[in-house]
Amino acid sequence: MKKTLIAAALTASVALPAHAEIRINGFANLVGGVTSSDETLYGYDENFNFSQESLFALQASGSINEKMTATVQILARGENDYDPEFQWAYVTYRMTNNTSFSAGRFRLPLFKYSDSLDIGYSHHWVAVPQGVYDVPFNNIDGFRLDYADYMGDWEIKLGASVGTFENEVGGGVITGDNTYLVSAEISNDWLNVRTVYGTSTTTFSETQIDGLVGQFSALSPAFGDFYAINEDTANFFGAGFNIDRYSWFLAGEFTRIEIPDSFSSTDDTAYLTAGFRAGKWTPSLTYSVFEGDELKGSDELAALGEPLNSALRPIINAVNDRFAENYQVASAAIRYDYAANFAIKVDVSKYTDDLVEEDDATLVRFAINYVF
Amino acid sequence: MKRIIGTVLFGALFSSQVFADYAVVVHPENNAEFDTQLVKRIFLGRETAFSNGEIATVITHSPDSALRTEFDEGVLNRKTAAVNAYWSKLVFTGRGVMPTTVESDAEMIELISENKNAIGFIDTSSVTSDVKVVKID
Repeated sequence: MKKTLIAAALTASVALPAHAEIRINGFANLVGGVTSSDETLYGYDENFNFSQESLFALQASGSINEKMTATVQILARGENDYDPEFQWAYVTYRMTNNTSFSAGRFRLPLFKYSDSLDIGYSHHWVAVPQGVYDVPFNNIDGFRLDYADYMGDWEIKLGASVGTFENEVGGGVITGDNTYLVSAEISNDWLNVRTVYGTSTTTFSETQIDGLVGQFSALSPAFGDFYAINEDTANFFGAGFNIDRYSWFLAGEFTRIEIPDSFSSTDDTAYLTAGFRAGKWTPSLTYSVFEGDELKGSDELAALGEPLNSALRPIINAVNDRFAENYQVASAAIRYDYAANFAIKVDVSKYTDDLVEEDDATLVRFAINYVF
Repeated sequence: MKRIIGTVLFGALFSSQVFADYAVVVHPENNAEFDTQLVKRIFLGRETAFSNGEIATVITHSPDSALRTEFDEGVLNRKTAAVNAYWSKLVFTGRGVMPTTVESDAEMIELISENKNAIGFIDTSSVTSDVKVVKID
């Protein structure tokens, strides 16, 4: 289905009528960073690195007819050797002035800044809070329905998406079938509140985990089935707010990702950010937390009794040690609007790990963001 | 008093930027209804259609023009850089078409007189019968 949808979107975009105006826009982030000695964070180390978060993107869109628009976005990330890939390719059909329907590959609206997380120019950070935003299902292949309307001073936005995803994470591959997401957002001139709920049938495959699950299943099929992420339901819940009085702003988000019937611990993440705008300068502070270190399968293993309980316990502890994360990041950033489409930023992040103290790190980054 | 001195100093520094009074203009045959809030929403891409159901084509001035600064800060309550950041979000999510920019009032009048669904703004002193002025507060 995935390939077909993208192919359809691409075909539609090249089949634009000759007179159609094709709009080309682009954006670029040049981000460099360095940590304090012997530390690593977000792929940076003590040697200055430019490729970790830098990216270049081109977007082409055109009207197929009065109601239909095709959009293709090609993005090259430094961390992938600037190999260009189709980030988005979709066709939008405007059903009414309030309702639109899209099909293809698009960004899943999980978070407040999902749609624009790659566009450094559009926000005040060097990068959106990684702990919250770095999930392996930001883009999906499928369909999306969007509704927006005004009620007095309030704008209401509702969205529903359905589709599939596949991505690399934790040394393995995660796939999501039957992914559904609904979101609701209400905003006025200065306040925005949104909430989102999603569910997906997920499968995670990685050499070590697959091997362990095989061994568990041989000893107890029920436990092996519990432990594996094999067509198991994953739930996503998110809520966020944004107060923007223009001269100052305060925003926060909370998300929970859980795969109850699996080895994967529930991940709770949140951030709070605040800043003010003084002319061309936007200084801000951000604090984010990530909690995902709960040991899964302990009760299920105990229920199997001895000797399995004692024999397998070290193994599930080891798996938890490998995947568990529990940390906080505090950062201070400043943005300078150099020109109407060009911003320069610097930030300092202090990462505190609650599980492995040696992983604590301090990172300094600078960024140049450009849109055209 | 302090404020007055500040204003005077500011004025002296930017004496080339004469205070401009803007008028929001549409095609003379545009029969839609407007108010300040709607104009603001249209120029921020939060509303895409006029009250008559037609999709608006937004035209603005280049970011370095004094009139643009006046309009963005006076009507949209935002710095021009913030308005551009807002639009870049809409454009790169396929939800909006970046407003066309013009370099002069004459160019704005020309584009609007050619497009029944265009909306823009010009210096009050530049208004001609080729465009219709939309009343806002």
